[in-house]
Amino acid sequence: MADHTVPLLELRGITKRFPGVLANDDVHLDVLPGEIHALLGENGAGKSTLMKVLYGLYRPDAGEVLLSGEPSGIATPADAIDAGVAMIHQHFMLVPTLTVAENVALGLADNGMLLDTTAVAGRIRELSARYGLHVDPSAYVWQLAVGERQRVEIVKALYRDCRLLVLDEPTAVLTPLEVDELFVTLRTMAADGVGLIFISHKLDEVLALSDRITVMRDGRVTGETTPGQTSKGELADMMVGRAVQLAPDRPAADVGEVRLAVDGLRVMGDRGLESVTGCTIEVRAGEVVGIAGVSGNGQRELAEAVAGLRQPTGGTVAIDGTDVTGQHPSRVRAAGLAYVPEERMRDGVVGEFTVAENLILVDHDRDPYCRRGLLRLGAIADACRDLVARFTVKTPSLETTTSNLSGGNIQKLILARELSGEPRVLVAAQPTRGVDIGAAEYIHRRLIDERSSGTAVLVISEDLDEVLALSDRVAVMFAGRIVEVMDVADATVERLGLLMAGTGVEEVGAA
Amino acid sequence: MGDFFTVASLVFVVGSGIRLATPFLLAGLGEAIGQRSGVLNLGVDGVMLLGAFGAYWTIYETQSPVLGVFVGLGVGLVMGVVYAVITVGLKAEQGISGIGIFLFGLGISDLLFQKQVGTPFPIRGFGDWHVPLLSDIPKVGEMFFQHSVLVYVAFALVPAVAFLLNRTTFGLNVRAVGENPAAADSLGVSVARVRTTTILMANTLAGLAGAVLSIELGIFQQNLTNGQGFIAIALVYFGAWRPVGVMGGALLFGLVSATVLQWKTLGLVSGAASSLTAMAPAVLTILALVVISRTVGQPAALTRPFERGH
Amino acid sequence: MHKRNHRKWLGLAALLAVLALVAGACGSDGDDSAGGDDGFRIAIVAPSASNDLAFTQSIVDGVGALTGVSAVDVTDGTFIVDDAAAAIRGYAEEGYDLVIAHGSQYGGSLQEIAADFPDVAFAWGTSSDTFGLPNVSAYTAASDQGGYVMGVMAAAMTNSGVIGVIGPIAVGDAKLYVDGFVNGVQANSGGATANVNYIESFSDVALAAEAAQGHIANGADILTGTAQMVVGATGVAAEHGAKWFGTQSNQTALGADIVVASQVYKWEVVLQGVVDGIKDGDLGGEAHTIDLANGGLVIEFNDAVDAGHARTLGENTIKSIAAGLKQTGA
Ligand SMILES: Nc1ncnc2c1ncn2[C@@H]1O[C@H](COP(=O)(O)OP(=O)(O)O)[C@@H](O)[C@H]1O
Ligand SMILES: [Mg+2]
Repeated sequence: MADHTVPLLELRGITKRFPGVLANDDVHLDVLPGEIHALLGENGAGKSTLMKVLYGLYRPDAGEVLLSGEPSGIATPADAIDAGVAMIHQHFMLVPTLTVAENVALGLADNGMLLDTTAVAGRIRELSARYGLHVDPSAYVWQLAVGERQRVEIVKALYRDCRLLVLDEPTAVLTPLEVDELFVTLRTMAADGVGLIFISHKLDEVLALSDRITVMRDGRVTGETTPGQTSKGELADMMVGRAVQLAPDRPAADVGEVRLAVDGLRVMGDRGLESVTGCTIEVRAGEVVGIAGVSGNGQRELAEAVAGLRQPTGGTVAIDGTDVTGQHPSRVRAAGLAYVPEERMRDGVVGEFTVAENLILVDHDRDPYCRRGLLRLGAIADACRDLVARFTVKTPSLETTTSNLSGGNIQKLILARELSGEPRVLVAAQPTRGVDIGAAEYIHRRLIDERSSGTAVLVISEDLDEVLALSDRVAVMFAGRIVEVMDVADATVERLGLLMAGTGVEEVGAA
Repeated sequence: MGDFFTVASLVFVVGSGIRLATPFLLAGLGEAIGQRSGVLNLGVDGVMLLGAFGAYWTIYETQSPVLGVFVGLGVGLVMGVVYAVITVGLKAEQGISGIGIFLFGLGISDLLFQKQVGTPFPIRGFGDWHVPLLSDIPKVGEMFFQHSVLVYVAFALVPAVAFLLNRTTFGLNVRAVGENPAAADSLGVSVARVRTTTILMANTLAGLAGAVLSIELGIFQQNLTNGQGFIAIALVYFGAWRPVGVMGGALLFGLVSATVLQWKTLGLVSGAASSLTAMAPAVLTILALVVISRTVGQPAALTRPFERGH
Repeated sequence: MHKRNHRKWLGLAALLAVLALVAGACGSDGDDSAGGDDGFRIAIVAPSASNDLAFTQSIVDGVGALTGVSAVDVTDGTFIVDDAAAAIRGYAEEGYDLVIAHGSQYGGSLQEIAADFPDVAFAWGTSSDTFGLPNVSAYTAASDQGGYVMGVMAAAMTNSGVIGVIGPIAVGDAKLYVDGFVNGVQANSGGATANVNYIESFSDVALAAEAAQGHIANGADILTGTAQMVVGATGVAAEHGAKWFGTQSNQTALGADIVVASQVYKWEVVLQGVVDGIKDGDLGGEAHTIDLANGGLVIEFNDAVDAGHARTLGENTIKSIAAGLKQTGA
């Protein structure tokens, strides 16, 4: 049925400007029926903007959108839905207080005056069965895990008989297992003739799933290729615009004594439930231990408890042999901890402060920055200039307000501050989340350098590739506990994926 | 000194509480609809005053309570158009716009009253309608089925509004727009249209609430509502944005007021105790509010204007 | 007469425009000739509406009955004391010959303002305190006297033996009236009881109406009440055929077939002396009281309601109170 000569979608010369930003610059892209077309690019490359133009959320400054060779005439999301275009946004467009069926029924053209969720639920079950998407139509969305929410989004699209589906970074929030399931569903849809645009900045996924790949950088298309014709390295180069080393070299290093010892740690989460439920892990001098796990399994609380930002309810934390359990963060730091927090804007820097002020945030009351209670501005400026240069923080000046920097540069700034104190233990949570490849490459290199110079490094990340690239030993965290620790040589994505999903873990007290 | 715990006294207090609750209920139901779609309207009291004056003046001139009710509804509708233009059209800040509407209603209703009527001459309302059969049930009939027809209308609106919100496509749109307008918009639901509609409903009900007040009291006076619209807003929070909850809040408020009043009539409280018990309804509402607002979340998009792509 | 409204409804510009239109239309019936420099100009600041058939109307009517006054300016509805204070100060600055602050709640503000304008004469009621300032006259009403008269009448007229009283807050003029009324009821040997319900509000009309409902449910066949929120109660009385005694103003308009009598305040009886004194250079310093004896309090009977022998009883009571033969207050 699919006519492969006429593209389902054709974007011609799309240009979209925001104040001060050219988000899309003469972008061309086409999608054939039944094709999975990957759109690859760094954060800020303009991928989401392009898709929002297609969906009628933004009006382009130039260019046209053709559907099956005809001008699409899409000016609003309602037009897009009518034209058979569906979009799964990077931030889910779901109403948490409504049920799955209600979310699916919302905005349907054939809704009568009265809401008939039973009919909708019936059709949802049909679609679930056909595409292997398990969802319970009567569940409330707020009760669902992220992966399930995404299935609801896909059901929404299927329910509307879309012929073109856009998925904006759909895998960012999924476990490896869920990613596999998603891919199965997407392939089934493609086989039915639906055209798919799959947005990602993860190279492996793009290579595994897509029929064709378009790469964007700084609002422009920098290349179009197919998985058969390209490689990870080449794609990364197209994305970043220069040669990139994806996995850092890990020279052999001497592993020394235990520097960080967490034993039977218990910590309450924000909702008053125990998030860390007896966590035990050790990190030695000269090694990187990576903690893999799906977000929400206690990683954040573990990191905060180690850093003294959260009071544990049981267990101990020792740094370099000193018990620091429940101590004030300044005491923990004095014992030798450096900490790169997950929420960098909240916990890592003061957004309104200048770059220099953030660089001395921790040590501002100590020599050489401060003597007899007075800040020594000259010494501070010298030290900051040096740090900014050494850590390649791209900033107009030391006086620039920190919140104006990009995520990657803020992360480098934090790293510069934390490593300047020559720590005994470094805890880095999600060190490259939301950071572009170039900066991530640099941050990875610094972490490895630190470990090679004898620091004990604990990396917590939801990005499996990152954990595998950095770690000497890999630990998997599930339901508040470390369920297994293995040598990186023994760690495969499949094995880790199973452990992260909680399978293969013996349930205590299970029948 | 009388005895509060006599059947006659309790029967009276229930009937009295229901009468007192009615304007709160109508205004609160309207406000609940609006808030479920993410629109806060602090102008309820002003709209009530305008509705109250409109109904009063109409009946004063025409002797027709029915016409008075329709004018009250109409005045509310017109104020709804004004509020929709300000908050949906111009996307103005809802808090300050609502206060503006309140002050406008307070001033204009008084001004028009002074100019058009002057002396507060009494008007004739509907009188009590005894529901056939039901009103003959001893005690129960007296408590529940011997009220003005407007009281029955108000209470009949509770299941009607609940049905509208929970069982209709429009209600689904309302709930979605109040929680996540971007999601509704992405599915082709017009946030502006939904909110405009709920604002019209909310203000029409506020106008009706005012009309009920002046018709039942048979009088109009400057600031007749005496802040009832603001209490109605509090009762929406109290009722956790559910029509039945709003009714519960209105009834609680009305019954506590009626109880305190009856104590005073019977001479059971006097002096300083009298002033303290007079605060009971407000204090109780605030306490309940504190407890409830900790457990139930408000519509996530409440007070937030919607603009596509932001 | 020219009226101003000093409330803060001047919020949103858009609304203001509409308001200005209506206000403009409204001002047209006013007498704006207040500028005559040789005339005597009086300004009134009062908390409720000028035609409330109660507290504020009593002063507006009273000033209207004065002779030798060329202009009267009223700012009414200033139930917020700060608004009233601003209005009082404004009038003082504009050089009015007499500025009347009609509301006991304005006392604190008036004390400050009067000290700042020693050349302007002020009157403050209802109160008997001049703060020792030579430019402040205080005026009050012995409203317990009329209350007593009507209490006596009510006790004679009741069939059920129960009389309902609705008060705002137990202070000042309202408390005087209620106490006098209750004393009058008790002075009658018929054994009638007066139930008093202070609703703790001067403005809650709905609550006043419900208080009236309560009295009637409790057996009352005669009601009375004081302050501007009683308009809610009179409607209830009319609906149930209960009789009503009014105060502060002639309330017959609220129910021609139920209002038996009203105690009416004739502030002009004392204010005329204040005005004449100011013209002679005496800016004040004294407290004045209107009562039945000096004719400042008048009981106006509604001939449409037949009070039978209670009317004679009432008239006799008036005479003996005026003659100083009866103790009426608390
Ligand atoms: N609504 C907006 N207003 C202003 N700038 C925007 C807006 N949306 C995106 N941008 C800017 O446009 C560029 C492209 O953003 P986006 O399309 O979100 O990139 P991507 O999805 O590829 O990460 C970025 O520089 C971003 O800051
Ligand atoms: Mg994006």
